[in-house]
Amino acid sequence: MSLKETLAEFDASRKRPPEVVAIIRRGIDYARESGAAGLRIGERAPDFALPNQRGEMVRLSDRLSRGPVVLNFYRGVW
Amino acid sequence: MIRSLGADLVAISPELPDNTLTMAEKHAIPIDILSDAMSEVMKKYRLWFAVPGEVKELYLQKFGLNLEKYNGAGRWELPVPATYVLDRGGIVRAGEADPDYTVRMEPAEIVAAIRKIAEKRSM
Repeated sequence: MSLKETLAEFDASRKRPPEVVAIIRRGIDYARESGAAGLRIGERAPDFALPNQRGEMVRLSDRLSRGPVVLNFYRGVW
Repeated sequence: MIRSLGADLVAISPELPDNTLTMAEKHAIPIDILSDAMSEVMKKYRLWFAVPGEVKELYLQKFGLNLEKYNGAGRWELPVPATYVLDRGGIVRAGEADPDYTVRMEPAEIVAAIRKIAEKRSM
């Protein structure tokens, strides 16, 4: 099973009330319409420096000098 | 898998650094988990959005979830979940950003994109 299928199955298993699902759907539509579409394929990723879990600064360009980088933006641990 | 292909995996969230983990636990995590506490990187990457009022109320009242506890005071803001595979030049070679957070880029696609970058380099 692909990750997409696994996630879809999990989402369906939660059996949320229709009014809750409707609010979540509208929230997703809102984010879509806000123009937050992310980077395009072929675009250069902007450089940045942020602290990691140990408080060390991590700079994207430093990591790229060592090899390809997979960047993952996630909402949080909750 | 990603690391064995010579790529680095970097995760970014709006959350403040996690104070619930011990230093040993933090050292045991094999990837970098970055804290975008000023939302600057989410904005640079055009992924930032403010959580709409009715979703905020739903989180607070039905899910008992207060984002401020994780993100800091007044920060009802999130990134559109996204994954980007960057080559050494920092160019986006593959990726996906979807406001529907139940949809994620397939791991197999990520691995395929890294392999393609590696092949180009060896040619």
